[in-house]
Amino acid sequence: MTTRPVGLTRDLPAGRVMHAQADGKDMVVWRATDGTIAAWDNRCPHRGMALSHGFVRGNRLACLYHGWHYDRSGRCGLIPAHPDLEPPATIHATQYGVVETGGVIWVSADEAPAPDDSDLAPLRSFIVEASEDALRDAQEATSADGAPPAPEASDRVSVLCNPIEPGRTQVTVLTAPGLPLPRLRTLSRWCEAMRRQAEAKETA
Amino acid sequence: MTAFTLYNYVLSGNCYKIRLMAGILDVKYDTVAVDFYPGFEHRQNHMLALNPAGTLPVMTIGEQVLTDTQAMLAWIALNHDPSGTWYPAADPMLGPLVQQWLAFSGRLTNSAGLAGLHSMLNWPIDGEAARRAAIKDLRELELHLTDRVFEGKTWLVGDHPTIADIACFPYVALSPDAGLDHDGYPAIRNWLYAVRSLPGFVTMPGIHHLHELREGADG
Ligand SMILES: N[C@@H](CCC(=O)N[C@@H](CS)C(=O)NCC(=O)O)C(=O)O
Ligand code: FES
Repeated sequence: MTTRPVGLTRDLPAGRVMHAQADGKDMVVWRATDGTIAAWDNRCPHRGMALSHGFVRGNRLACLYHGWHYDRSGRCGLIPAHPDLEPPATIHATQYGVVETGGVIWVSADEAPAPDDSDLAPLRSFIVEASEDALRDAQEATSADGAPPAPEASDRVSVLCNPIEPGRTQVTVLTAPGLPLPRLRTLSRWCEAMRRQAEAKETA
Repeated sequence: MTAFTLYNYVLSGNCYKIRLMAGILDVKYDTVAVDFYPGFEHRQNHMLALNPAGTLPVMTIGEQVLTDTQAMLAWIALNHDPSGTWYPAADPMLGPLVQQWLAFSGRLTNSAGLAGLHSMLNWPIDGEAARRAAIKDLRELELHLTDRVFEGKTWLVGDHPTIADIACFPYVALSPDAGLDHDGYPAIRNWLYAVRSLPGFVTMPGIHHLHELREGADG
């Protein structure tokens, strides 16, 4: 499995949980109160509830269904219905690799190498209802004329794709660091233009 | 003494806006339960006499009747928010911006709200068209909230939560039940979380309290 960008560091504050998809896998990505991040298979080892519906208690993720708690290693640390029971070590969430570089959260099912740290800054993460190919074509088409809101060379725009299912792609857009607010707004609207173009093409 | 009477249906996102605003501002009110579904009581003569439009909620303040949800939010804020921040009506820029997002919330009723009625109560409308309209609205909201993230801001308008946040909250929060997941909407997710963290927040079916904020939390 390759390493895939599933979201931005700024969009997942401490104590929060999100759903992610990469290479056909459903994942929960969550950040403990102390700031550390984890990515697991999105199934509770108890009865299979989506852990992305769960919530963070301190440095554990709690399942919404029966409240089983899992520590960062994925090990079950508390079963509320049996609070005095030490949960067997075999009750364990399936872990994936997760790293954060340049404000982007990357996941992988194996120990795939982390992407090179770039000096770019994250702009936005969003989903396009189109294939990666259609998105790449749209990126080119909407950049070509250079008229606003198209990016300029000095924006150093970089578009990362995470194909999540056929015809559905998660897109992460990076730019040069420190762009002024009006430029960020403009490039965010360019993201919308690129998405419209990619989706129009997909349904044509 | 209660402040007003709310003609209420528990599963209505528009009725919930009123309960939520009243909860946050700690305003006491009476409710009259209306059998919206399956009874369609809001379309019966006694309810049409109160609100000819045949919609819920309806709010009465003594003899005065309000039939538009956003007007009701304005009434609660103007009469029961001593801080004046929930509806900065007189501010030359914030006032109009609040109006703009109140109007947007009306669009949400007709997109995400209808998509919800279609998927939950099998409402006789074109569900696909409602969902397409809802996606368009959610993307517009995400774009705006992303601008706000760039500015380091949390709320739709200004530095404080306003009635516009309350008006836009329910149908966005409920939209996953209508098949519109929030995966591609990180700014919306964080804004929803901020609304749910407000002191005095109240729930409705499908929108619950943040477990992590509940007292007696262990772990
Ligand atoms: N413009 C009204 C619309 C309210 C509205 O549409 N309410 C829904 C329930 S949440 C309704 O009463 N629908 C009537 C119907 O479809 O029969 C407002 O914002 O107060
Ligand atoms: S399914 Fe998660 S605790 Fe039961």
